[in-house]
Amino acid sequence: MAELTLEGVSVSYGDAVALSDVHLDVADGEFFTLVGPSGCGKTTTLRSIAGFETPDTGELRFGGREMTGVPPEERDVGVVFQNYALFPHMSVAENIGYGLRFHPVDDPEARVAELLSLVDLDGFGDRDPTELSGGQQQRVSLARALAPEPDVLLLDEPMSALDARLREELRREVRRIQTDLGITTVYVTHDQEEALAVSDRVAVMHDGRVEQVGTPREVYHEPASRFVASFVGENNLFDGERVDGGVRVDGTTFTVDGLDAAGRDTGGHATLCVRPEHLRRDAAENRFALTVEQSEFLGEATRVHCDWDGRTVVWRTDRRVPERGAAVTLGFAPEHGRLL
Amino acid sequence: MSRREWTGLSADRTLRSLAVAATVVTAGVLLLVLYFPVGLVFAEAFGGSRPLDSFASTLTDPFYTGVLAELFARPFAVGVHLDNVGSWFAGVSVGPGGVDTPPLSKGLFGFTAYQAVLSTLASVAIGLPGAYVLANYEFRGRRTLRSLTIVPFVLPGIMVASGFYAAFGQAGLLNDVLALVGVGPQRLIETNPLFVVILAHAFYNAPLVARVATAAWESVDYRAVETARSLGATRRRAFRDVVLPQLTPAIATGALLTFLFTFLTFPIVLAIGGLELATVEVWVYYQLTEVLAFEEAATLAVLETAISLGVTYAYLRYESAQRAANPGEGPPREPLFGRASDAAGSWLARSRVVGALDARRLAIAGYTLVVVVLFVGPLGAMVLEGLTDGSGLTLRHYEFLLQRQASGASFQTKPLPAIRNSLVFGVATVAVALPMGLVVSVASTGEGRWRSLLETATMLPFAVSGIVFGIGLLRGLVFGISLPGGWRFVITGGVAIVAAHAVAAYPFVVRNVAPQLAGVDPRLVESARSLGASRVRAFLDVELRLAATGLVAGAAFAFAISIGEFDSTVILASDVAGDTVTYTMPVAVERYLGRRFGPAMAMGTVLLVVTAVSFVVVDRLGGRVERG
Amino acid sequence: MRRRAFLSGAGSAGALALAGCLTQGGGGGEPSGTLTVATYESFVDSPSSSPGGWIKQNFEAEYDDVTVEYVTPENGVTNYVQRKQQGAPVEADVYVGLNVDDLVTIDATLGDDTRLFRELDRDFVSNAEHLRPELEFGDPKSRVLPYDTGYISLVYDEEAVDEPATFDDLTSPAYEGTLLAQNAQSADSGQAFLLWTINEFGADGYLDYWRDLQANDVRILGSWWDAYSAYLESERPMVVSYSTDQVFANEDDLPMSRHRIGFLEDQGYANPEGMAVVEDSGNVDLATDFLNFMLRGETQAEIAVQNVQFPAVTDDQVDLDDSFAQYAHRPPEAVSFGYEELEGNLSGWVDEWARTIASN
Repeated sequence: MAELTLEGVSVSYGDAVALSDVHLDVADGEFFTLVGPSGCGKTTTLRSIAGFETPDTGELRFGGREMTGVPPEERDVGVVFQNYALFPHMSVAENIGYGLRFHPVDDPEARVAELLSLVDLDGFGDRDPTELSGGQQQRVSLARALAPEPDVLLLDEPMSALDARLREELRREVRRIQTDLGITTVYVTHDQEEALAVSDRVAVMHDGRVEQVGTPREVYHEPASRFVASFVGENNLFDGERVDGGVRVDGTTFTVDGLDAAGRDTGGHATLCVRPEHLRRDAAENRFALTVEQSEFLGEATRVHCDWDGRTVVWRTDRRVPERGAAVTLGFAPEHGRLL
Repeated sequence: MSRREWTGLSADRTLRSLAVAATVVTAGVLLLVLYFPVGLVFAEAFGGSRPLDSFASTLTDPFYTGVLAELFARPFAVGVHLDNVGSWFAGVSVGPGGVDTPPLSKGLFGFTAYQAVLSTLASVAIGLPGAYVLANYEFRGRRTLRSLTIVPFVLPGIMVASGFYAAFGQAGLLNDVLALVGVGPQRLIETNPLFVVILAHAFYNAPLVARVATAAWESVDYRAVETARSLGATRRRAFRDVVLPQLTPAIATGALLTFLFTFLTFPIVLAIGGLELATVEVWVYYQLTEVLAFEEAATLAVLETAISLGVTYAYLRYESAQRAANPGEGPPREPLFGRASDAAGSWLARSRVVGALDARRLAIAGYTLVVVVLFVGPLGAMVLEGLTDGSGLTLRHYEFLLQRQASGASFQTKPLPAIRNSLVFGVATVAVALPMGLVVSVASTGEGRWRSLLETATMLPFAVSGIVFGIGLLRGLVFGISLPGGWRFVITGGVAIVAAHAVAAYPFVVRNVAPQLAGVDPRLVESARSLGASRVRAFLDVELRLAATGLVAGAAFAFAISIGEFDSTVILASDVAGDTVTYTMPVAVERYLGRRFGPAMAMGTVLLVVTAVSFVVVDRLGGRVERG
Repeated sequence: MRRRAFLSGAGSAGALALAGCLTQGGGGGEPSGTLTVATYESFVDSPSSSPGGWIKQNFEAEYDDVTVEYVTPENGVTNYVQRKQQGAPVEADVYVGLNVDDLVTIDATLGDDTRLFRELDRDFVSNAEHLRPELEFGDPKSRVLPYDTGYISLVYDEEAVDEPATFDDLTSPAYEGTLLAQNAQSADSGQAFLLWTINEFGADGYLDYWRDLQANDVRILGSWWDAYSAYLESERPMVVSYSTDQVFANEDDLPMSRHRIGFLEDQGYANPEGMAVVEDSGNVDLATDFLNFMLRGETQAEIAVQNVQFPAVTDDQVDLDDSFAQYAHRPPEAVSFGYEELEGNLSGWVDEWARTIASN
């Protein structure tokens, strides 16, 4: 087991920059997630850690051991891919046992059985991978990656090919196994909800850069950039002018607690972020008038799209919703507003 | 799973040095046995005082380039050329008999390409239904028949030509059969020699197309067909939308190979069609081997090769755009004979199903008849020639073989050494061509235009005239390379023959293996590596295993090329005096052509049988390898 | 035999391991007991009969310490011409199987400075005095002695066509679609037939004649074999072949009616085969003795029968079987071109002809 450090890692393909000066510290035993839209560099980061990509610059260390130039097979990483990448010409047991050829154990068969049991596939050892469902194949892939007891587990969008229910089930299982084994894990996903749900910490990536690193709560509640604010969870962003005690958007002044956008001068540009669930009809402050346009019933709540002078505002409520076209006045507590 | 005793770096180092050695040897063999000899001959084309003069005079000679000669002569006289096109169209008249066009001089190159295109179309048209039957139906001997599709490929041209005369000539088998049903004799070869030449080309190449297409058909992802049909596609529609796209790369491969082989065709055209249907290769042969006019011959050969490589490049660009279909299990094979369907419910439904199936079976029966006439006819005639003389059936030609074996002089050709050499060279060729093909396949996996160019270069052996290759070997290796001190470095004999065969055969391995290697998901390799396998080890454990079917197919072709190869074998074999004999079966066939058919045809029959048996065995063994 | 050094592959590095042998050429060795005779395949290895075995046996019987070794270079003498061009050694003492046109090609390719064959001193080949003069090659350098000849003629099926008597017959309607000939570019018989037409119609007229032949649907196939096998399969009733055809028909029990010999204009085109001593030979004396042996009456008879050709020496020197005389026909008049006529003309004639036939 080991902590993992990336310092100033950059990767480019010809003129295209895939990763630009990435710094990351992953603690021993941590479940660390790289999240971002496609093309953001998260997979390139993971592949650099695995040794499939050679960074142009920067350093990569596993527990203090310099990894630059070390081939993948000597890095002690386990990798799980989105498409499972099971060897089609080997049985399930042979797939799981493959890494043991290079990491000998006393009783390989017992180890394979143990891993099958770990991923809840007892008795599937003799099957062909193609006979299994997608979820089962992904479990085999996980077991195979874990078999040589790697220092670091790398998961590259492992759930993307699965349907929603299976995805949730499997991600809980992955997290359970990871916690049991205490293995340092880097998880790549484009699904911010999944990232928030399973991770100890999250790195939000955009355009080859790390925008923010923090716990799920931190990145959710305290987005460091406009991109993070809009990518992680739903958010309403209003561009306005910084005024004393808050921000003015088209003549409406909103008060924000603590003025977290400290350091900015009055009169400068500021963006106000308010989460849909923080907008309330009964809020005492920061009230503004909107028109209801469309609502989606989600079960535990309703998401309402409103119009505010040409801007779309998303409001989330568990109460009854006015009809389409109705006027509604919403507000939010100053502590829920955030300035960027 | 047993514990692996060797896991360490030393094994990897061995593997890596093996890989490096294979690469070096491959490069060396290609350099020495392909690029050097062929380059030696091609260089003659540029030997004049003004190096490109010979090309200019060839391209502007209407005899070679037909109507294009004027275009080459005055490339910028656009107005003149447009006028010519215009007056040609003005000469087109539509009458009651159809459309009449003014004659268009094709020139030697134009005609050569023309007959190659026709031969390709014919080979695809005849080969494809064969692939359909072999892939979709089950019947006794299906596997054997599939194995035998390679047999025509190895037969010497002279055997096929005389087989064709015996089958389709005025007094041939076909006319005998037609007489039985009251149809008068057909003067097929007389009335349309081009048609018969094309049939002879199809005789060689249609089985090749069938073989390649059968392999593709057997790995079509049929779940997609089921999906399409469940979405409401008719059987025909599902074929067009789902099966055909997965077959086209293989069909295109077969078509390309057929085009290349028939573009460089030579003996069969002259033997059946005659000089009026001469191809460029006829002129290459004449100038290179009879009058030793190297500059002219090399110029023609370079142009031939340029055209062949151009076509190959176009094909490879197409192929690289096609790649990636996931190999499936192929169609479920239904029995060819026996009841069509018991499961269909009502009598009416059943009779409709049966009716439809019977129409298809009727078509298969018709196709079978064509195949029997085209393949069994000439083959049977060849065998019969070995069993007859002026007075009827006889075994004297086989007696001759036995007697020659028992008491032939040391300088005479004996059957058993020919058989032994053919088999030994065949196996050795496979052993050399497989690693060569693998190395080249790996080297040519890259992306886009460069890969197509590199892959085109690897196809050179198919694009070079066999005569040029042979003369190059003669001048480069047999005569030897002059070294300081009066020494000459000479390469002849068995090793050289195997090297030449391997060079001729490895493109087949590449064509079969490279697409499969390229189709391997790189994540499989990455998985293996992250699990601890070195790059070489991952190649052996993953890529090689997944390309196994391609390797087996490539091996079969390599074996066939070796068995059938004549041009370079005869050159490398003939110059060895005395001690060890290196002639092969096709060489023996040619040497037994005295003034009579019999002995050569008896030897040809031996070649036929040995080859057939070998391929049934090879395919059975290969099938075992494929199943793992 | 020339001194040769073989380096075995094992142990020697790189390409040598692949190759097998390094040879050192150059310096003439002392005469040894091996006479290397280069010839064509069927002279030694024909499935029916070939004189090679008899010659080897009898020559060796006469020269105790001599071994005759045959080599059959692919592409015949042009192989040696190319060797000479490349400066590679020609490892033979005698070449058996030269045609006049070979000699022309040799000189056209190698020029005056490079010599493949030696000038012969006929004083040492006493039997040469019996040669039929019409078979002489007319070689200005006097390198070649003929040892046998064939005559190109037509072979026809008398049940299908009447005997063709003249060249003009062949272009008449009665013979439309009946003749099988060979490509003069690649077949000796085809080239001889072409030269025969040039002899008849002249260099100015032969192409017109061939256009008429083409209009009368002649078929020109690749090799003698291609045409003859088509003939045997009854594809057509007439083929350009040799006047010894009935010898084979007799051996094979084929009906003579299908193997009639037609001498157009009462002629046959003679295609004498010659032999010469290789310039590089280290055994010139022995080689010259061999040439003399080849022209001995006894040998000539044997060659005639085994090679199914006519002797090169006058009839009084050879004692031939009656059956040979019965089935091997000699034309009333033999025509042929010598060296002088072919020199500088041959390849042009053939090329013009081939372009005329093949233009499409």
